[in-house]
Amino acid sequence: MNNTTIKANVSDDSSMQHAQAESVHRFTERQGEYYSAQFEKIQSSNRLTVTFNPKAALFGPCWAAARNIWGFFWLSTFALLFSLVQLGRGLWGELGADKLAQAARLSDKSQEMAVKAQSALEAGAANAAALLRNSENLQRAADNALAAANEAAQGAEQLVIWGSVFLILVILIQGFIANLVYEKKYCQWRINNSEKSGFSYPNLLLGLAMLTMILPLMLYRFTAAKPVEWLTAFPANKAIFNSTSSWLDKAFDAIALQGAGFFDGITYSIRILLDGLEVVLVDTPWPVTTLVILFMAWRLAGPRVAIFTIAALSYLAFLGYWEKSMATIALLGAAATLCVLVGVPLGIVCAKNRTVDSIARPVLDFMQTMPAFVYLIPIIAFFGTGKPPGILATIIFGMPPVVRLTALGIKQVPPSIVEGALAFGCSRRKLLLDVEIPLAMTNIMAGINQTILMCLSMVVIASLIGAEGLGTDVLMALQFAAKGQGLLAGLAILFCAMIIDRIVQGCVKPTGRPAG
Amino acid sequence: MATDVIQLENVWKIFGKNSELAMKAINEEGLDKATVLERFSCVVGIADVSFTVPRGEIFCIMGLSGSGKSTLIRHLNRLIEPTAGTIKVLDRDMSALSNDELRGMRAKHIGMVFQHMALLPHRTVLDNVAFPLEVQDVPKFKRWEISQHALSLVNLNGFEDRLPHQLSGGMQQRVGLARALASDPEVLLMDEPFSALDPLIRHELQNQFVSLTKTLQKTTVFITHDLDEAIRIGDRIAIMKDGRLIQIGTPEEIVMQPADDYVADFVKGISNLKLISAHSIMQEINSYTVPEGISLADAPRAKEDTNLEHLIDISITTPLPIIITNAQGVDIGIVSKDTLLTGIKGKGDE
Ligand SMILES: Nc1ncnc2c1ncn2[C@@H]1O[C@H](COP(=O)(O)OP(=O)(O)OP(=O)(O)O)[C@@H](O)[C@H]1O
Ligand SMILES: [Mg+2]
Repeated sequence: MNNTTIKANVSDDSSMQHAQAESVHRFTERQGEYYSAQFEKIQSSNRLTVTFNPKAALFGPCWAAARNIWGFFWLSTFALLFSLVQLGRGLWGELGADKLAQAARLSDKSQEMAVKAQSALEAGAANAAALLRNSENLQRAADNALAAANEAAQGAEQLVIWGSVFLILVILIQGFIANLVYEKKYCQWRINNSEKSGFSYPNLLLGLAMLTMILPLMLYRFTAAKPVEWLTAFPANKAIFNSTSSWLDKAFDAIALQGAGFFDGITYSIRILLDGLEVVLVDTPWPVTTLVILFMAWRLAGPRVAIFTIAALSYLAFLGYWEKSMATIALLGAAATLCVLVGVPLGIVCAKNRTVDSIARPVLDFMQTMPAFVYLIPIIAFFGTGKPPGILATIIFGMPPVVRLTALGIKQVPPSIVEGALAFGCSRRKLLLDVEIPLAMTNIMAGINQTILMCLSMVVIASLIGAEGLGTDVLMALQFAAKGQGLLAGLAILFCAMIIDRIVQGCVKPTGRPAG
Repeated sequence: MATDVIQLENVWKIFGKNSELAMKAINEEGLDKATVLERFSCVVGIADVSFTVPRGEIFCIMGLSGSGKSTLIRHLNRLIEPTAGTIKVLDRDMSALSNDELRGMRAKHIGMVFQHMALLPHRTVLDNVAFPLEVQDVPKFKRWEISQHALSLVNLNGFEDRLPHQLSGGMQQRVGLARALASDPEVLLMDEPFSALDPLIRHELQNQFVSLTKTLQKTTVFITHDLDEAIRIGDRIAIMKDGRLIQIGTPEEIVMQPADDYVADFVKGISNLKLISAHSIMQEINSYTVPEGISLADAPRAKEDTNLEHLIDISITTPLPIIITNAQGVDIGIVSKDTLLTGIKGKGDE
């Protein structure tokens, strides 16, 4: 331990400086003197400061590992690897070796051919001329390969030069930014003392171990002409894959069989909701539907949106998409309603309960990032095809935003306002209904909006499993490469989305209020 | 005892995960604040506070920023649970209340004004004021009537239908005050209610507040960091430092006999003319030797609770000393010009 505690001095100013220096000492654990001087230099200027850390420059990754700056460690390791690989390829890699071999092979062949041609000529055979031409062609190819090999060999020199230039650059940059990075780390440490950053042997060893793993293997892989096979391709075992996937198949079948009643129940309830919506939207005479939509657009979102709505609706009607659009909106409406019915309460519970939150968060991530095609498979297995499964798939993709934004909105209600309400004897229920939800409303509505749009974007994919509507048209267009039809149907989907989006956003305004 | 509306006994609050452990260690080893922070990474918010407030009293709590005033006042309606100690309000042990009882107490009996207003931003001023009544299920018409009245008490007529963010900071603070008054609670908890107001309105509101609470016999705990304010409205003042109450006393006691340097620093530079009564500077009438050539027969008389300012006014009109009488009109003491000057100069002379 070369850690010296510095006694606070008499004068106020210098004692402040000492306190600073002492804190740097505590942070760095080793070389406190050096770093406190460097940090002071960095902190004394508002511009980018030029400092050079020779240790970091020379032993970049090791330095970073010992100081627990792993971001630096990896960047530096990769930069180093890149330059070393170039150098290695230039120095030891038998560049153009394969071309050289090819040239030799070709020229052998051409020789052979020439001999054959010669004998054919002597025998007076008819194909002698063809053979001769063949041989000449081969010879030319061999020459080309030789030239390429030579070029590659010359490239080796260039690789060496570039590799060394790059290496020097890496070293310089490392040296110049090390102290800056370390100072940033120091500032973080001041906020959170638990973040260790002093010199540590275990970390250094860990870093060294990783380097000894990575560097030789990489260098070997790129410099050896023919690396051993297990390095270039992972020695995967096909049997594991086969048995796992067939086991999963069986599991799916078993679940589908066991839970048939349950799945049918879900399908049934979704169908009831959907049927209700479809009757209202599709079977109502079009003038009535148009009037209602227009009126809503006008009252909720103003005249401009109303005009846009007229235009969009005429597009749908005149191109014959009316019925399909209404079916799509019914589908979407069912999905979005279910998303909101489940998502808003779930979001509220997430905001209030840590455990639920920590479970729901990864599940939501999963739902949002998993490609839709993947969960279409189990959905078909459990629910079959048709509209209800399509709606389910849409829900999976569309629900996360409303859950997340509701949770965010509830969490963002200022604690002082909650406290104010509680101080007057407000019950938990009243607090939620009359304080937290109204204050989170802007966020919740944004979430609902997002969810609706996400649901719309699923229309095409849901049509894959038989959820008919505008999506089917796009799908057909895709199958037959009908560009015009695809574009028109796509635009129809877009217009549906925009009408709904504008109207829902219009709903938000009355409750919206300036923040604060 | 029955008249003590608020009673606190050895109340401790320790913030942090290991508060129980820290409390135990404090009881056994008597650790100080810094050690507790270092060993348990717990902040001592309130340390061993005991006091009582009788009915109708305005009890001021003073202290520097971060001394734990807001933390303390939040214990009185259990917005914060104490780590140790008992708190009784209106003879009910606050920690023993069930959730429903606690809500009832907060809604009906304890009103609170917050340092940071804590108004509901999405509700009109009127609905904000009506909130405590709404919680008690008072019908809308009735609660609007009452709230209207409360708003007129703080001079906010005509702003009923605005939203809080359309009001200035001072006006918002008055909305908070009206809200606390609306449900007519016996106990008022006020966390720096006037600090965002301009001096004129503050002065006016202070006077209004004192007369209001006196006529309505409200018991008030009032936080401020302004000693002038504390002296003007407080019946008693408690000085707080690092979570402890260092001194409790009437304004006069605090100014005349500060318990330590911290309090002395606080009261330094406070004009004591209004604060000190004749009683505390007078000489016993028996021990007073009448100087030659002076007859006490014409000397003016003043009551023993007359303050110095008033005594000066009397003294200017006459060369004679002033005779001090008690409530029954019996002469009990004398204040000569010398005594008066010494009294004005301040404490520590005897
Ligand atoms: N939830 C909490 N967790 C940890 N420490 C807290 C918490 N609440 C308050 N404290 C600490 O308790 C101390 C007292 O805070 P408090 O808000 O009561 O001060 P105050 O006297 O009201 O100051 P001011 O005059 O600035 O309002 C502060 O040191 C603060 O850091
Ligand atoms: Mg405070």
